[in-house]
Amino acid sequence: MNMDNSPAIAIENLSKTYKGKKRAQVEALKGMSLTVDQGEIFGFLGPNGAGKSTTIKCLVGLIQPTSGSARIKGIPVTQVESRRSMGYLPENPAFYDYLSAEEYLTFVGRTYRMSADQLTTRCREVLRQLELWDARKRPMRGYSKGMVQRVGLAQTLIHDPDVYILDEPMSGLDPIGRALVKEIIIDLKRRGKSVFFSTHITDDVEKVCDQVGVIVQGTLVAVDRVETILRSGVEGYQVHLRTPAGEPAAVIAGITPDRSNGPLAEYAVPCARFNAFMEAVNAAGADVALVETKRRDLEDFFLSLVHDHSPHR
Amino acid sequence: MLNIVRVTLKGIFRDRVFHGILAVAVVFLAIPSVSTLSMRQVTELSITLALSLESFILLLLAVFLGGTSLWKDIERRYTFSVLSLPITRSRYLFGRFLGIALFLILTAAVLGAGALVAVKVVSSGYPPDRPVAWGAIMAAVGFDALKYVFLVAFAVLFSSLSTSFFLPVFGTIAIFLVGGATQQVYDYVHSAAARTMAPLVRQVATLLYYLLPNFSSFDLKVNAIYAVPLDYHGLALTVGYCVIYTSLLLVAAAAIFGRREMK
Ligand SMILES: Nc1ncnc2c1ncn2[C@@H]1O[C@H](COP(=O)(O)OP(=O)(O)O)[C@@H](O)[C@H]1O
Ligand SMILES: [Mg+2]
Repeated sequence: MNMDNSPAIAIENLSKTYKGKKRAQVEALKGMSLTVDQGEIFGFLGPNGAGKSTTIKCLVGLIQPTSGSARIKGIPVTQVESRRSMGYLPENPAFYDYLSAEEYLTFVGRTYRMSADQLTTRCREVLRQLELWDARKRPMRGYSKGMVQRVGLAQTLIHDPDVYILDEPMSGLDPIGRALVKEIIIDLKRRGKSVFFSTHITDDVEKVCDQVGVIVQGTLVAVDRVETILRSGVEGYQVHLRTPAGEPAAVIAGITPDRSNGPLAEYAVPCARFNAFMEAVNAAGADVALVETKRRDLEDFFLSLVHDHSPHR
Repeated sequence: MLNIVRVTLKGIFRDRVFHGILAVAVVFLAIPSVSTLSMRQVTELSITLALSLESFILLLLAVFLGGTSLWKDIERRYTFSVLSLPITRSRYLFGRFLGIALFLILTAAVLGAGALVAVKVVSSGYPPDRPVAWGAIMAAVGFDALKYVFLVAFAVLFSSLSTSFFLPVFGTIAIFLVGGATQQVYDYVHSAAARTMAPLVRQVATLLYYLLPNFSSFDLKVNAIYAVPLDYHGLALTVGYCVIYTSLLLVAAAAIFGRREMK
């Protein structure tokens, strides 16, 4: 198999049923397939309990799928080698807390067979990048949640892998931390890396992702490019017209202004009637101050998908 | 794997439980004065005390380090971050075992040295009837350490099966007790007194004798205390037995742990 042309992540028909006590079963994943191409940033979006972490744990070999298979850069995830070119950030991660960040990164780097020289250089770079430099010698026992999360990111970056699998990388971070994570992901994209990250926050996806997959109750219900979703979501336009002083805002092409704001009147124009409306505006010689597109954003898209695919709603 | 061994050792040295257990070693200082309470055989008593104390500390370490190390990793969710690295489960498990084993051997060496010093102090104050068998004392310490390394393999096996610390800790204690008694039970079953016993019971007892560990041959206290010459052939057999049994336990543990779900 030519590894260079293999997708970063290929998941085929993956199912996972958790067996609990007394025959209690949870069908967490139901035959899911998806592909993340090399160089792609893939947002894995789904509400709590949708099966995001289950998918990711199958990818990194922590649990065995009930059926189906997955490959990282062409190598089946059942092989340890599949994890060599990968960095994984667990959800709410925990690391040997008696070690310092520096010691832990050294430990991780050694498992990736990095040389001592490489390790020293990379450790410094990564610790600086994640603003852990001053705390690097302190045991992680004394770290805040945000700092531990940053150690988690640092240990995915240390060996500079091609594929990044991040389970809720922004959780537990303050706005500054979140911005830092987005910056890191965008930087990875610029360097041609592949990132697969799960989240339940649409805003994170909108800002950084190329591709988004929506998972609801163990089923992938949509996969699309973020731009396509954003473009397809245009519902109409908000047109602001300047009205001559003292005159009330007029009804134009049958549309009444929904707001008059001093010398400005705002009209909500649906897509289908936009051309007719603008012709009427031109005919009346009205002065257009501003045209805004009104779109359904990713959040609405996500909410409607979740709504459609939840049986009890 | 060396990497895991290193991390394991760091973890033990920085653990508070370890500091507490080592504090028990301070009792060594009391051995000379306690031994003199005995009117006769002061040196013999000091050897007994030193070896028993050393053995007790190693038992505590074997049970608690062996029984809680894996459980702690799972409980504190370290397994997610560590087992997702390119390390096989078996390497991780062997690394943990080797780390603990190495630590036990190291502790045995340090405590053994302490024991020798204590015995030396006593024997120079109260010269014994026969010369102290220093070699036998060292052998006793060594084989005692080997016994606890063997016990740790049981702890690792139980840890690979269990999600709590209950089975690893109490299972290991149970194995320690059983392993110390198997020889006596076997001897009893095959003695004249047991002739009235049902043959089936005797067969089951014999089978268990071969399956369960037997710690009696690791016990060289008598040799050390009374300067009884060592049976080198027997000791070589004991080492072989320990190596084979420990390897089987670890292979079983790795097979079980490899299939385990890290949920
Ligand atoms: N260890 C487990 N045992 C039983 N059910 C589980 C286990 N882990 C997760 N689940 C169930 O599987 C489903 C998916 O969980 P998860 O993958 O953690 O969701 P997400 O990460 O999207 O929030 C949930 O219904 C959850 O309750
Ligand atoms: Mg999750």
